[in-house]
Amino acid sequence: MTDIIKTEKLTIGYNGKPLIKDINIAIKKGEIITIIGPNGAGKSTLLKNLARQLDPIEGSVYLEDFKVSEMSGSELSKKVAILFTDRIKGEMMNCYDVVATGRYPYTGYFGLLSAKDKEIVENTMKLVKVEELREKDFKKISDGQRQRIMLARALCQEPEIVLLDEPTSFLDIRHKLEFLSILEKMKEDKKLTVIMSVHELDIAQKISDRILCLKGDTVDKFGTPEEVFTEEYIRNLFDVAEDINKYAEKKNIKLF
Amino acid sequence: MGKKRTLRYIIAFAVLVLGICVFFVLNVCIGSVKISIKDVLAALSGRTLDETINTIIWNIRLPRTVAVFILGGALALSGYLLQTFFHNPIAGPFVLGISSGAKMCVALAMVFLLSRSLKASSITLIMAAFVGAMLCMGFVLLMTRRIDSMARLIVCGVMIGYICSAITELVVTFASDADIVNLHNWSRGSFSGMTWDNVKVMAVVIAVSFILVFLLSKPLDAYNLGESFAKGMGVNVKVLRVFIVLLSSLLSACIVAFAGPISFVGIAAPHLIKKLFNSSKPLLLIPASFLGGSLFCLFCDLLARNLFAPTELNISTVTAVFGAPIVIIILLNRKERGQS
Repeated sequence: MTDIIKTEKLTIGYNGKPLIKDINIAIKKGEIITIIGPNGAGKSTLLKNLARQLDPIEGSVYLEDFKVSEMSGSELSKKVAILFTDRIKGEMMNCYDVVATGRYPYTGYFGLLSAKDKEIVENTMKLVKVEELREKDFKKISDGQRQRIMLARALCQEPEIVLLDEPTSFLDIRHKLEFLSILEKMKEDKKLTVIMSVHELDIAQKISDRILCLKGDTVDKFGTPEEVFTEEYIRNLFDVAEDINKYAEKKNIKLF
Repeated sequence: MGKKRTLRYIIAFAVLVLGICVFFVLNVCIGSVKISIKDVLAALSGRTLDETINTIIWNIRLPRTVAVFILGGALALSGYLLQTFFHNPIAGPFVLGISSGAKMCVALAMVFLLSRSLKASSITLIMAAFVGAMLCMGFVLLMTRRIDSMARLIVCGVMIGYICSAITELVVTFASDADIVNLHNWSRGSFSGMTWDNVKVMAVVIAVSFILVFLLSKPLDAYNLGESFAKGMGVNVKVLRVFIVLLSSLLSACIVAFAGPISFVGIAAPHLIKKLFNSSKPLLLIPASFLGGSLFCLFCDLLARNLFAPTELNISTVTAVFGAPIVIIILLNRKERGQS
């Protein structure tokens, strides 16, 4: 099977200062990839580069053999949806309106929703189980609800790849599980490719096909959960010092 | 649900159009000389024998009222664009100093031309105002790189406004006596002395700008959500921003060139319209804000002309009385939300 997204000699960072150098990864259609690494390792930066929200310092991102930097905005937005940590600034929108903005790349010149668009919005809201929020003011719902609405919005875009930046951080355990189950269902049903950064290592271990570990200025490891999740490797990745490790053992806190 | 919304929009538009019609007629009828609707209709159809009434209506009131309609709409529209651009409900051409910048350049151009006993044409004045508006806009944009707090940006904008006004005052003070009266009135904002030639030029410039803004309503909708969302949906944000800056500057410039700086309409009208429609869809808000601004200005100009007749108030005096409280309300509401 061909790679849906890959990078070649990708160097990323801000204002010309490299943060991560020489990233060469290839991801297959329908894989769930999680990105882990210590704070400030560049997880969000990598996601932003994959989504073309930031331009790479060197190298390129390819989407099914097309250079992302050369694609038109609307082409790209039909293939890649994002769920980053930015808050929606729109005012006076109910949840339905927010979900419907996901149809943007498909609507006509004035952005009016067709019958088909409306049907897709309905179905997605059902899938993500947010129908009852339809009329609620988007600014007045809880963090968990907001995140599910944002997921519905991203899925409405009918993407082949969805990029998520710490999507589960604000969710309680039930909503976390619901959120992840939807992503897995989309993977099974529609061969959706999922690339997301997470802080919860247990989630990374259980849901991922492969895990991308960032440390220092390189991709430290890119492999299956079995390859990545050894006590020793994780301790190294996060620089867990000996005394902290002893403390964790004493309190019986598992790293993952 | 969908039907209820549509009904609300239709009613809101009907109210706006009706209000504009009513105030348009009132503006034509009421003045230092009161003219009955019958006489107005007679004058319009060219059946009047009374030359005075004919002149008052055709040469004074009608061009002025049409100009108020066009410029009021343009004010609201440029305010709406700036609010969208900065994601800030109290941004507007006046508070960001853009009007004052335009005013300064127009005053300089006027005095320069008058000193060579040339009369400035409408187009020249618009060009001068556009240069001034772009200068101030450029300055504000430079500051946004260093300032991320919206409140501080507004304060800086107000300061730019003061600097530009000071320079304008200086120029006006040293202009020759005959020019001063004219310049002085204009530099405080007034719709008086509009001619049909003025109206023609502003109608063309503002109609073109309006159509361009309306064509941008889809990307503006995406931009409303925030920049990363707009990018994620395939909008070329850089190009869009350039368009917003150019169009809002052109609209502000056109207003200043003809009527001087007018405060608060750009903030108050779009805000009230958003509340009336309970929506943030540019597709609705662009035409609705235009109509709202027109209505607001027709109302304010009626008061400005007649409240202390025969003395005419500056239009900004009236718009500030109604507009400034709205800004305060917006600020109070924002704080509430921040606390909750």
